[in-house]
Amino acid sequence: MMAIVNRTPDSFYDKGATWAEDAAFQRVDLVVAQGAEMVDIGGIKAAPGVEISAAEEKARVVDFVARVRETHPGVVISVDTWRAEVADAACVVGADVINDAWGGADPELVDVAAAHAAAIICTHTGGVQVRTRPHRIEYDDVVAAAIADTTAYAERALAAGVARESIVIDPAHDFGKNTFHSLEITRRLSEMVDTGWPVLVSLSNKDFVGESLDKPVGERLLGTLAATSVCALAGARIYRVHEVVETRQTVDMVWTIAGRRPPTRAIRGLA
Amino acid sequence: MTAPVTGSHDLPRIAEIGLEAMPGTGRRVVIVPCVPALLPEYASVSDPVADLRTACVAAVAWLDSDVRVIADDALGERVAESLLGKASTPGATDLLVVANGSARRSEKAPGHLDERAAAYDQQMGELLARGDVAGLSGLDPALGRELLVAGAGVWSTLVSEGIDVQSVTTDHAEDPFGVMYWVVRWQCAS
Repeated sequence: MMAIVNRTPDSFYDKGATWAEDAAFQRVDLVVAQGAEMVDIGGIKAAPGVEISAAEEKARVVDFVARVRETHPGVVISVDTWRAEVADAACVVGADVINDAWGGADPELVDVAAAHAAAIICTHTGGVQVRTRPHRIEYDDVVAAAIADTTAYAERALAAGVARESIVIDPAHDFGKNTFHSLEITRRLSEMVDTGWPVLVSLSNKDFVGESLDKPVGERLLGTLAATSVCALAGARIYRVHEVVETRQTVDMVWTIAGRRPPTRAIRGLA
Repeated sequence: MTAPVTGSHDLPRIAEIGLEAMPGTGRRVVIVPCVPALLPEYASVSDPVADLRTACVAAVAWLDSDVRVIADDALGERVAESLLGKASTPGATDLLVVANGSARRSEKAPGHLDERAAAYDQQMGELLARGDVAGLSGLDPALGRELLVAGAGVWSTLVSEGIDVQSVTTDHAEDPFGVMYWVVRWQCAS
């Protein structure tokens, strides 16, 4: 489980609930207590909005990463940024993972990951500019495009010196994709898993869930968990989430059904 | 010999008795319950039968490396061979016997509560603790079936084997799921 921790005043789901540093820090304590192995700390919301400079992004993220590192030495810290400069500063103070949600917009990001022996998450955005919404984007085959782009990015990271086991691919639901694209990515996620790279999915409360069910933000948990089940059955390895407990149970249940994990405690009919 | 089993408490445990505490040079017999949860294909993250498994593994290790399995059915053979980590050896003198008491000891038990279960198990426990093979083979088979007892047929086999129990250690006697489990070691005179 990778729990989302926003250091933003305007992210779509929590609307700034953890904008204050102490609130964000309490969120880290909570999700770690709930069993999240990883936190994903971001200083800029994904959607278009007020431009945030690299200096401002660092101010939001770097000291906070240092504080989390000090307090939770065992948790894996991911930083959600597309800027090499921000990633570098975060890795210096203890970040372990660079979550590049914008698909390699900054080509130096892989070098930062290699220099710090950090992991990198290679996402697919269909080549759109950072912090833009998709508008009339078409693909011949969205899954093929996601596989081609993320695995090319992964190979680039490998060539730059990032360890193979530290490279993750992410189809990036809703990034550069309409709802039909995100649904197809979900339906065919096993094709991404079959590449052999570990797959991260970020489904939590996203618009493709909302549009599929006509539910506003705040009423998308059940839809999110249904999508999570499908991705879990396909073999996704990392889940970037708002709700740790619910997602953990969902994924554990699906992995148990799939025979990849034993039941927690089975005695019915076996005593 | 140890005292007869009269309940789930105050029984000698492996850690207390030590497996070397039973002298003798004759054949060795271990009795374990027919519990599918012991099988690796039914493993859980958190083992619901951890104590039982520990007792079974230790008792089986007390046997010779070649062991003959005595069980009533295929499930019992699977459980035994899983504990042994190998197939039953025809002709081996040491025996691994698969049997347990009633599965109707409480309302939550697999077979729901049968009021006769407690007395049956009391008697069976006492016979096991005495190594009384003839007594065990004399238990009412029809009642045993009704009480969902496992291995009721094995005792007549042991009688015909001429088992002569010299000393007994009860390593485990519990009914955590309404099923009576024993892990018992018999050191025979010959």
